[in-house]
Amino acid sequence: MSMALFSSPPLHFPSLSPPKPHLTHKPFLPLPLKKPFFISPKSIDDASSSAAVSIEQEKDEGSNGVLLNSNGSSPAVVAGAPVTETEEVRKFQDARWVGGTWDLKKFEKDGKVHWDSVIDAEVRRRKWLEDNPESSSNEDPVLFDTSIIPWWAWMKRFHLPEAERLNGRAAMIGFFMAYFVDSLTDIGLVDQMGNFFCKTLLFVAVAGVLLIRKNEDLETIKKLLEETTFYDKQWQASWKDETSSSSKDS
Amino acid sequence: MASIALKTFIGLRQSSPENNSIKISKSLPTNHTHRRLRINASKSSPRVTGRNLRVAVIGGGPAGGAAAETLAKGGIETFLIERKMDNCKPCGGAIPLCMVGEFDLPLDIIDRKVTKMKMISPSNVAVDIGQTLKPHEYIGMVRREVLDAYLRDRAAEAGASVLNGLFLRMDMPKAPNSPYVLHYTSYDSKTNGAGEKCTLEVDAVIGADGANSRVAKSINAGDYEYAIAFQERIRISDDKMKYYENLAEMYVGDDVSPDFYGWVFPKCDHVAVGTGTVTHKADIKKFQLATRLRADSKITGGKIIRVEAHPIPEHPRPRRLQDRVALVGDAAGYVTKCSGEGIYFAAKSGRMCAEAIVEGSENGKRMVDESDLRKYLEKWDKTYWPTYKVLDILQKVFYRSNPAREAFVEMCADEYVQKMTFDSYLYKKVAPGNPIEDLKLAVNTIGSLVRANALRREMDKLSV
Ligand SMILES: Cc1cc2nc3c(=O)[nH]c(=O)nc-3n(C[C@H](O)[C@H](O)[C@H](O)COP(=O)(O)OP(=O)(O)OC[C@H]3O[C@@H](n4cnc5c(N)ncnc54)[C@H](O)[C@@H]3O)c2cc1C
Repeated sequence: MSMALFSSPPLHFPSLSPPKPHLTHKPFLPLPLKKPFFISPKSIDDASSSAAVSIEQEKDEGSNGVLLNSNGSSPAVVAGAPVTETEEVRKFQDARWVGGTWDLKKFEKDGKVHWDSVIDAEVRRRKWLEDNPESSSNEDPVLFDTSIIPWWAWMKRFHLPEAERLNGRAAMIGFFMAYFVDSLTDIGLVDQMGNFFCKTLLFVAVAGVLLIRKNEDLETIKKLLEETTFYDKQWQASWKDETSSSSKDS
Repeated sequence: MASIALKTFIGLRQSSPENNSIKISKSLPTNHTHRRLRINASKSSPRVTGRNLRVAVIGGGPAGGAAAETLAKGGIETFLIERKMDNCKPCGGAIPLCMVGEFDLPLDIIDRKVTKMKMISPSNVAVDIGQTLKPHEYIGMVRREVLDAYLRDRAAEAGASVLNGLFLRMDMPKAPNSPYVLHYTSYDSKTNGAGEKCTLEVDAVIGADGANSRVAKSINAGDYEYAIAFQERIRISDDKMKYYENLAEMYVGDDVSPDFYGWVFPKCDHVAVGTGTVTHKADIKKFQLATRLRADSKITGGKIIRVEAHPIPEHPRPRRLQDRVALVGDAAGYVTKCSGEGIYFAAKSGRMCAEAIVEGSENGKRMVDESDLRKYLEKWDKTYWPTYKVLDILQKVFYRSNPAREAFVEMCADEYVQKMTFDSYLYKKVAPGNPIEDLKLAVNTIGSLVRANALRREMDKLSV
């Protein structure tokens, strides 16, 4: 059943779909993989004047755990102001949100939980939190877990006309693609990593499945491949120019 | 720290000092009769006469300190050049348990032993990922000025000359086997602070001078992409500090970073609150504010005592060695994705590079050449490349959007994941997994991803 969930149409694989910019943020720029921009780390010195302050300050601190402020004076106060700026904390509120989770009783209709409304409510809560990030709190922890919503509720909600299209073939293509990507790197990761890596491969495979299911979007697949191999290329770069000089090795 | 790292377990649990001594004795001169039996590349290299091989290590961070110690112990005439002896490198200071054993660190340089690690999702679901830790297991929190000084002192004890100076540039050798001439400004006590231009002739150079490496520049090593990390040291009241006694927090979400995480790490008497990003460097202050906000209920009323920012390399430089010059640590670009871990890898790479030189030179008796240094690169990539790769993939999958992060945190609630994660972070090796558990995990994770994405779709609809 979870397998069937793979192909629900609304999905997009997270690693490839940048979040839509509906926060206060600037639009998300995709990672510059095609044309990697290399800003020399040196430039951080300049960048930091606008983007980040790098203030080197001496601490008059003993070498072994002497309290920085044991004499009551703060030796290097950059911004003496207290950390809080939030005067009036606007927290998410909903009558059905009780003790860090959705009170399912309040969603009951004819003695049954109306899961669709739970999904709606959670969607609204997450949206609210994206727009108004909230301080996490130990007194008031969030306990809600999406897995309490049964699978059929998701199925019904996001009716999955394409469910049957997810067949072994797509899954296999995804999986082989993962191996293909891996083989490009020719270090034999699969051997070296054992199970844990297989899991990761599986995630990549899922990416493959989700993508291929969607109108064979070759562009996206190509991008995925590029992304995956970009990092490898960086690693292998130091081996590229050197075949001649290692003559002594053999 | 969601570090999933792997590869052979090389002598680590704190309680096994034998392992360390084996490692160290490998580079002791007393052994070199054994090594003689090996045929290695330097066989053809000329002997150095009247002295031992001279190697300069530029930069006295964990990479430089570890390299210099190993070199000196291996019979090399070693110079360690550090520009600022009390340098307090901007850093979270978290080190894995195996580093304590492998580098024989005394326990008193560890300010805190973190045993609880909270991962907090964009919708504030908090999961303690340290539940499976055994009683003796912890993540060490160190102050860099303390750790770095300790490693340098040990190098000095082993016989390295530790020089306070700023490395400027070097003249490349004109002929094979002729020396490199290093130019540096020396800050000896006799120059009282003013600095004095000096030169130093050496046979090989290890560049351990961090992200803005001048050694890398000297050999045209090329650039890497980098993340900018921003960190504020915040002193909070004692009762608030109690909560962070042995606990660290990691926040994920578009608000705190589009591609990394925000953290609250406990330090000796304050907390370090920070975040980082590659893609949106100009917004780093906004992310920092958001990180503070997300931690607000726990740090409120605190005072900022220090603000720092520093680049973190994302991948190795295109060239990590040339002729008799090799890069290690941040200068080479050895920080993992996902967890942003670099101290251990810096120290390990420094040591590994030094071992290659000791071995290639037969304890300082012969000249080395590029093929000797290349052994280090070979071994490094073979040992750690998979680790970097897995973390790169994990970061790509889980750090890039809020639904993925929600799924990631859900996944971290799983004890099996926690165990695997911590084993690999603390020991840099992976216990054999359990295929059924693995499969269950994969299915659950996919389930989480699917649900989170479904919710995201609906959220998008709301905003239209
Ligand atoms: C904000 C932040 C948080 C981090 N948190 C963690 C963490 O929690 N855990 C972790 O494992 N890693 C962390 N890292 C990464 C870690 O700090 C680095 O990977 C590590 O310090 C690399 O060590 P290094 O010895 O290669 O370089 P560095 O530590 O940068 O040391 C370089 C040394 O060289 C000296 N130097 C530089 N140029 C010259 C010159 N021209 N002449 C003489 N000396 C010179 C410098 O003074 C410095 O002492 C963090 C990084 C940042 C920026």
